Amino acid sequence: MTVKKKVLLIDDDRDFLMATKLILEKSGYEVFLAESGKSGLAMIESTCPDLAIVDMMMETWGEGFDVISKIRSLEMGKDMPLVMLSGVDLQGPYQSYEPSDEFPKVNMILHKPVKAEDLIRYVGELIG
Amino acid sequence: MAEKESEGPLLVIDDEETIRDGCRQVLEKSGYTVITTTNGLDGIRIAREKHPALVFVDLKMPGMSGLEIIDVLLEDIPYVVLVVITGYASIVSAVESMKRGAYDYLPKPFTPDQLRAVTKRGLEHRELRIEAKMLRDAKEQIEKDFITFVSHEMRSPLVTIQQYMESLKVVAGDCLSGEARDIIERCDKRIRNLEDLVEHWLDIRHIENGTLIREKERIDLSGVIAQAMEDMKPLCEKRELALEEDIPEDLPMIIGDGESLVRVFVNIIGNATKYTPAGGSIFVHGEYDMHYVSVSVSDTGRGIPADKLPFIFEMFYRVKGEVEDQRGSGLGLAFCKRIMDAHGGKIDVSSQEGKGTTFVLRFPR
Repeated sequence: MTVKKKVLLIDDDRDFLMATKLILEKSGYEVFLAESGKSGLAMIESTCPDLAIVDMMMETWGEGFDVISKIRSLEMGKDMPLVMLSGVDLQGPYQSYEPSDEFPKVNMILHKPVKAEDLIRYVGELIG
Repeated sequence: MAEKESEGPLLVIDDEETIRDGCRQVLEKSGYTVITTTNGLDGIRIAREKHPALVFVDLKMPGMSGLEIIDVLLEDIPYVVLVVITGYASIVSAVESMKRGAYDYLPKPFTPDQLRAVTKRGLEHRELRIEAKMLRDAKEQIEKDFITFVSHEMRSPLVTIQQYMESLKVVAGDCLSGEARDIIERCDKRIRNLEDLVEHWLDIRHIENGTLIREKERIDLSGVIAQAMEDMKPLCEKRELALEEDIPEDLPMIIGDGESLVRVFVNIIGNATKYTPAGGSIFVHGEYDMHYVSVSVSDTGRGIPADKLPFIFEMFYRVKGEVEDQRGSGLGLAFCKRIMDAHGGKIDVSSQEGKGTTFVLRFPR
């Protein structure tokens, strides 16, 4: 019996969580949801996912960066594949986010809305 | 009296000394600042300098005619109120001058009271006009701000709907009939169009606020065009349209914002793809002279009817596309025009129904 790969979604937008969960579950992943940075970090520790997808903007702008930093500082999060979602309210200079060199690594940055086929392909590339 | 000062001085243009002196005496006594001159040319020069609130013009003077003076003053001095001084029997010319925009007339001889009365009324009229314009502007700004606010609010739900559409396709895809899938596709397209509209609208507001174009620098226009053509190649291939260029190697650099200019060209080429049937072609041509660099984008499409041509740069103006479902936001060309304005450039269009359309974008060197 093959164990399903686990994906954790961290986003305060419930609709986005639900819509994305549906897409990923149909592709055979086990999906966990967290609506805030805090609960997200707790779930990293409790579920030990194979991949985490984090929204850049939650309660506060750029909260996602914070969460990513904290994940990377965890033992299990050091090399975990991480995807960042760029928010819809970004404009102008923030629209194309370029991480600075000191910023903890994310494997990929996606823009909402994410096409189902793209999401499935990228996740597949990252964790199989 | 400080209040009266802020309205601007009064100007009297009359070749008759008694009139000039009489007016000056009466009006200065009432607290106005009065400037007098003997002829139209000097009057215009002074008016352009001092921006008077109200000007008295004698209709019959040697040299420049009263009517000519009226025309120039109305053109050059915002909100100026003109009162023509006429001879006893020249009501006809008085009426004519009012048709041309004069506020009122004073037939000679007139009393100080009559002079004061027309001055007061004229200045009140001016106040009202200024206030009306301010209110109109404020209203327009409020409307714009409101639409901007709504557009911002719309973005998030639009993204959510799109994400759900993606889920729907995945979750129910297998059990959906061709018809149902078709309906989802159509909804998808409309949502994308709505998204484009919102984005374009916000872009236009940003241009108007001066916040869209970040920094202008010397840029290579041929690079910008190449980028835009590269972006549009797949679409042109899909629509079976040839996309060709004829840009001289030494096309001069211009000052501008590369990113927004790429978007302008993408927009214009995109328009060409909408209105050109399969098998047609789109041609980008560049040239320059001492003062300007010009780039034209021509297509062999069905052209724009002459009666629609003057409106295409206006907001929300749309013409039906070649392929059934094509709907523009109606803001693309309005956006392009504003970007060109911001670059000190010009965009022009010429078209012949059945033959094609050409857009010309001209940049100062």
